[in-house]
Amino acid sequence: MSNEDKLQELESAKLKLKDGGGQARIDKQHSSGKLTARERIDLLLDQGSFIEIDAFVQHRSVEFGMDKTEAPADGVVTGYGTVDGRPIYVFAQDFTVVGGSLGEMHAMKIAKVLDMAMKNGVPVIGINDSGGARIQEGVDALKGYGDIFFRNTMASGVIPQIAVIMGPCAGGAVYSPALMDFVFMVDKTSQMFITGPQVVQAVTGEAVTAEQLGGAMTHNSTSGVAHFMYSDEKSCIEGIRKLLSFLPSNNLEDVPWQECDDDLNRLAPDLNYIVPDNPNKPYDVKDIITAVIDNGDFFEVQPYYAQNVVVGFARMNGKTVGIVANQPKVMAGSLDINASDKAARFVRFCDAFNIPLITFTDVPGYLPGVGQEHGGVIRHGAKLLYAYSEATVPKINVILRKAYGGAYIAMSSRHLGADMVFAWPTAEIAVMGPDGAANIIFRKDIEASDNPMETREQKIEEYRSQFANPYRAAARGYVDDIIVPEETRPRLVAALEMLAGKREERPAKKHGNFPV
Amino acid sequence: MRKFMINVNGKSYEVEVEEIREGTTVKPAAAPASPAAPKAEAPAQAAPKAEEPKAKPIAAPAGATTVSAPMPGTILDVKVKEGDEVKKGDVLIILEAMKMENEIMAPQDGKVVSVAVSKGASVNSNDPMIVLQ
Repeated sequence: MSNEDKLQELESAKLKLKDGGGQARIDKQHSSGKLTARERIDLLLDQGSFIEIDAFVQHRSVEFGMDKTEAPADGVVTGYGTVDGRPIYVFAQDFTVVGGSLGEMHAMKIAKVLDMAMKNGVPVIGINDSGGARIQEGVDALKGYGDIFFRNTMASGVIPQIAVIMGPCAGGAVYSPALMDFVFMVDKTSQMFITGPQVVQAVTGEAVTAEQLGGAMTHNSTSGVAHFMYSDEKSCIEGIRKLLSFLPSNNLEDVPWQECDDDLNRLAPDLNYIVPDNPNKPYDVKDIITAVIDNGDFFEVQPYYAQNVVVGFARMNGKTVGIVANQPKVMAGSLDINASDKAARFVRFCDAFNIPLITFTDVPGYLPGVGQEHGGVIRHGAKLLYAYSEATVPKINVILRKAYGGAYIAMSSRHLGADMVFAWPTAEIAVMGPDGAANIIFRKDIEASDNPMETREQKIEEYRSQFANPYRAAARGYVDDIIVPEETRPRLVAALEMLAGKREERPAKKHGNFPV
Repeated sequence: MRKFMINVNGKSYEVEVEEIREGTTVKPAAAPASPAAPKAEAPAQAAPKAEEPKAKPIAAPAGATTVSAPMPGTILDVKVKEGDEVKKGDVLIILEAMKMENEIMAPQDGKVVSVAVSKGASVNSNDPMIVLQ
């Protein structure tokens, strides 16, 4: 065999691998609105930057006729490339090759990519499109999942891990995305569940479609498993690239920086009147966020889930910040089980990756109710306290209006270690709302009065004027300054600059016992 | 009298249906049909809702969306009535809860099929308030 022949042989072998499961299966993938693994990678990475590794890996299973089954690249395409010039590792399951099923060698390839990503401090993106475990490989397939879960856990907090669901993802396979930082889904073509509709029907008798059980909308709005939803794969991939633009590559890197053409001293006069005079009227907190951040470019995380709290990424002076805000427009902005979970998870992600936190507070309290108490709002609410206390990144709080009781403490208060606490003049920082407080404090006065109703109203007003304001908290130094709302942007930019070198230590420990 | 289990958006209702023949008078049902789920203490406002599907058992299910209370509170105002066409984002109900006049908005375009609550009523979390189609 001459060198010429050897080169020929290599070329034809590579061409064959590129074909995946063959043209017929590729056509089928396309007709169901899905791209192939290689097309997805090409869209995701900068043009021509993808370097494939382990394409020649083959399974070594011989049971159940597997010895005669050919599986190019063993059903998963792995490698690295760049997004906006920054390195990224990627693996994409190939549904056209034995249904993208996960066997021993398939899993070994994914594990290798995770190991390399962790070693080199580079984010990893996993595109899931798989029928599940390759049953023929038995316990070796289970070992494969276990190896992946272990590495996902080890990599957590070291490099950003992004899971993308672009097809079925069922059974044990769902736990790898669950262990990663963000889950992207595509409407109508992606599903995640532990047990599929047939098993659910057989066990509990509930008739449900795959889409209702574990479709993109279900996980984005109901379960909170997923963080982003897009109508097609192309826009989904654009979303992933956008998310990456906000994230550092690993936990030792500072946040990425972009030239900022938005005036740092820009005033936003509308903010002076955005909070309604009547404290019972809602407003949209996103109007405040977009008025303050660079160019109004807010990348919201989990926009459909627990909408009473808003979380997401933005830039201030060109550098990434994480935003957490109560949303008075939804459920009065109260904190409940889901909102606490959502915000706590986001705060921990930001802390792990050196992303400063800006909190906008307008919270009437934790949501009362039997359902909440029995659902464990104590345990879930504690997560938010824990997450903010634990975080050592710069923490800035802007109290817009209500900040009552335990929820005031939870929302990045001075007492949990906030570095700067600003309050708008509309702030009401108190142990509880005027109505409730007056009933308790002035109970005797009200009972003794000839006209209890009138006395009660008077006392509520008295309490409101004396306590439902920012000055009491500022008098103690719990609030650092009371600011004119229109100046919020320049004040935040200055505070972030002042805090850029923040160093804060926590006691050495193996890890805390996060209240899950 | 026949019994049906009707599933509306994952919530099942046990509904009794009686065919009205000519010459027979309609007796009011002995007990209002109650949701099959053990929600015995549903507020009084829930009762007419439960009876609603009785009149048009087929009208509600297919493709209908139930707008439920997101949290316990008091209905301050009902902005729509049966038969109204609404657009996504239109305010349907003002629910006072947590000292806030919460605007409950239409999750989609549609027609109001039924209104289960009235001004002044108090609701619990997940109580159905309006059915849209």
